[in-house]
Amino acid sequence: MTRLLREHPLIDVELDHGGELVAFRWNGRRERVEVCNRWRIDESWWSRPIARDYFKVVGGDWLALLYLDRVDGSWHLERLYD
Amino acid sequence: MPLGAAHRLAPEALFLDPDPAADAAALKAALDRLDGFSPGVAAEIDPALPGFGQVEVQLDGLARLWGPEPAMVRRIDEALASILPGPPLAGIAGTRFAAAVAAALAGKTRSGGTVGSNRGPSSEPAALDIVSPGTDAAFLAPLPAAMLSRDPEERARLARFGLRVIGQVAELPRSALVARFGPGGEWLAARARGEETDPFRPRRAPERMAMALPIDPPVSDVEGLRFVLHRLTSAFGDQLVARGSAAARARLAMELDLSFSVGGIPPLMEIDQLLPEPTSEGLAIERLLIARLEMAPPQAPVSRVELELGDVAPAAGTQLSLFTPQTGRTGRLGWQLVRLGLRFGEDRVGWMEIEDSEAVLAEARWKWRRVAGSRSAEDWAPTGRSAP
Amino acid sequence: MATPPPSVQAALSSLQERLGGAAPRWGATLPSGRVEVVGALAVSPQPGLPADLPTDLPTSSDRAISSGFLALDAILGLGGLPRSATTSLHGGGTSGKTTLALQAVAQVQAAGGIVAYLDMTRSLDPVEAVARGVELDWLVVLTPDTLEQALAMAAMLLQDRTVDMLILDMPYRPLEGASISAANLAERLGRLAALARRAGVQMIVLEPPSLPAALAGALSQVAALRLELSRQAWIRLGRDVVGQRTEVRVTRDRFAPPGRAAELRILYADGGLRDACLTRDELLRDGSAGPGLVSIAWRLGANLSASGAGRTGMRDGAAPPGGLPPSPLRHAARPTPPLHSTAKSVFDDETPPSLLAPPSPSNGSQQVLRAIRGGASYPGRPALDGRAGAGREPVGIGAGSPARDAARGGP
Repeated sequence: MTRLLREHPLIDVELDHGGELVAFRWNGRRERVEVCNRWRIDESWWSRPIARDYFKVVGGDWLALLYLDRVDGSWHLERLYD
Repeated sequence: MPLGAAHRLAPEALFLDPDPAADAAALKAALDRLDGFSPGVAAEIDPALPGFGQVEVQLDGLARLWGPEPAMVRRIDEALASILPGPPLAGIAGTRFAAAVAAALAGKTRSGGTVGSNRGPSSEPAALDIVSPGTDAAFLAPLPAAMLSRDPEERARLARFGLRVIGQVAELPRSALVARFGPGGEWLAARARGEETDPFRPRRAPERMAMALPIDPPVSDVEGLRFVLHRLTSAFGDQLVARGSAAARARLAMELDLSFSVGGIPPLMEIDQLLPEPTSEGLAIERLLIARLEMAPPQAPVSRVELELGDVAPAAGTQLSLFTPQTGRTGRLGWQLVRLGLRFGEDRVGWMEIEDSEAVLAEARWKWRRVAGSRSAEDWAPTGRSAP
Repeated sequence: MATPPPSVQAALSSLQERLGGAAPRWGATLPSGRVEVVGALAVSPQPGLPADLPTDLPTSSDRAISSGFLALDAILGLGGLPRSATTSLHGGGTSGKTTLALQAVAQVQAAGGIVAYLDMTRSLDPVEAVARGVELDWLVVLTPDTLEQALAMAAMLLQDRTVDMLILDMPYRPLEGASISAANLAERLGRLAALARRAGVQMIVLEPPSLPAALAGALSQVAALRLELSRQAWIRLGRDVVGQRTEVRVTRDRFAPPGRAAELRILYADGGLRDACLTRDELLRDGSAGPGLVSIAWRLGANLSASGAGRTGMRDGAAPPGGLPPSPLRHAARPTPPLHSTAKSVFDDETPPSLLAPPSPSNGSQQVLRAIRGGASYPGRPALDGRAGAGREPVGIGAGSPARDAARGGP
């Protein structure tokens, strides 16, 4: 099962020099992660564009799904696997 | 009988010209007054028909409002004293036939427990005969069998078969009566055994039932109102059950006593509540209304409460799905959720529903189905009943 | 006379309790060998509040429901999660608590139960819940703001016994927004558990990874069963993490000595063609073979990358013709429906798909993954245990829901 965080909370992320995601911060905790899968979606570009880069990340605590909103550059947490 | 012969038989009698219009008007006025006592009142209003003059009042559950049955009859008697020419004869029984017989006997004997009246000393109080619940058949058994029917042909046939008292008729197998009397035999058998023969049809079509209670002294706390409301809802509940009806909405109107209040409070507070499903359950209605009152208590003491049940219709059975045991319980759950919604906010309680499981965005794949007072039962019960 | 299947038995006996002699009965076996159910429909006499509804569900066991994991059931005192008692699930992030809880929901619903889910974290995913065998029609979702409000709502539900199971998904920070102290909350939690026991309602508490000591203490007092879940290892498919092995340790069991442990294997399906690989153990990199399939969750769509750029190109790979090779998880009699897709297969690919080359669109499976509005299952969804995830068949409750079938017997 995954938990789908319905409000998609904003998170802070840390990138390494190569631009790879190495950690995110949520709920007062910093989680070092490794990206294990990624994909991109582009939706309704003709009206209200939705463009997201999804990152499935595995950390010490959580397996999680994050995305970068390419429209405004914000990072969100969408799912926690549990 | 010619008038002359009558004069000779009863020289002291005062003979009145028949005035059907006046009789009908008096009965109409009496019925209007009776409506204030019971939501179930029926009578023949055509003076030309034999049933004219007999009024049926449904008393189920009304003891909570008006006290025990003799007291109820006394109140009715008082209310009708100025309208009707003489003291009424009253009978209370489990079936309408037995009640009519009891009333007739009360008139004959005048011994079956008369009740007091504050009418002048010259007038007599109403005569009352009460058949205890469940004893209709026993009460009828020793009475002449001819009382079972108005039809002279049927009466003659009863006599020909040697059936003198109702008890003898009751002992016969139903099939034997049907064989000898045709379809009427079924009816005779039911009457004789103290069973109701046809459904009670109140004169006012029961899509709406209303009753009011004054509160003296006025109360403002919900606990006090709960007490009054309980009396009203349980009276209604019994009435609905007795009729096999169910109500789909409830309206509570409260008159506020503003003598000690600051201005700006409207004198009437109303709550209109759609019920999650048509019900005859007084308790369910009460709890829902109390939940509404707890959400928004009255701002001043309440001096009068009127409860009106609307969209009253025959209670339909719910079709249960054999393979979904849950469906039998959705009714109860629905009521519960409406109350939860009232207490915690309607956006806090609901169901999730898949809208498009293929949607690219996870948030677009489903939507909420919220509990709301305005929803009909069909909205949420998947194998629910049709909307009223 | 043939004995009806348990699902029918449950339905019949609940009708019998409700309707008495008017309820349909299981009839005689006809000469043709078919069994006749006498009375297909029943009419309930009165709508309203029936006061004497059966509170215990007449299935598998009167005292417990299967957790959906055979290995776990085997180490529990009652052979499952206790009915009419509180079970608390404790564990860190991604430990499998939610999977376990929803598995239990599906089990209770299959037995005719109604479940209330107090979703304080606002994170229940209905699409996944359905894939796991949960029926949304019988799942009331409550979204209280605070733990305090949740406890009040739960108490109301318990008083009326309108539900058979209550899932309390505690927020990540249980004390946030509370107007009363932790000790007070703990006391209320204890009272709620006592109420649940009296009302005969099963309660499952999902503890957040870091639970304040006062609440943790209260829970360990009131719970009849407390399970501690800890992740042992990830299961990988190529570089991607697709599942985990979790150890469940019984830290408290009122019905048996605590301390026993079992290992569960949980696989996450992200949707899309690649999930078919999850049925093939040889493709998964996993510390141990484990006790076979225990659970697979489906998530639809995320990998479908359905629109726009994703639809072009990327048709070079080919799925094995005629469907997938036989899987150890599949019932032999039920072939996997062929996936009519020509999407690129990725299970032999060690590198993750790049951002610029979106993962394969699988038009074929998109066609069959159509949800029934408000329905309980998805016909034609390629199910991991090899059964066509057939819609609810007209006979028998719970027929054909993949997760539930996996939960019932396992392979």
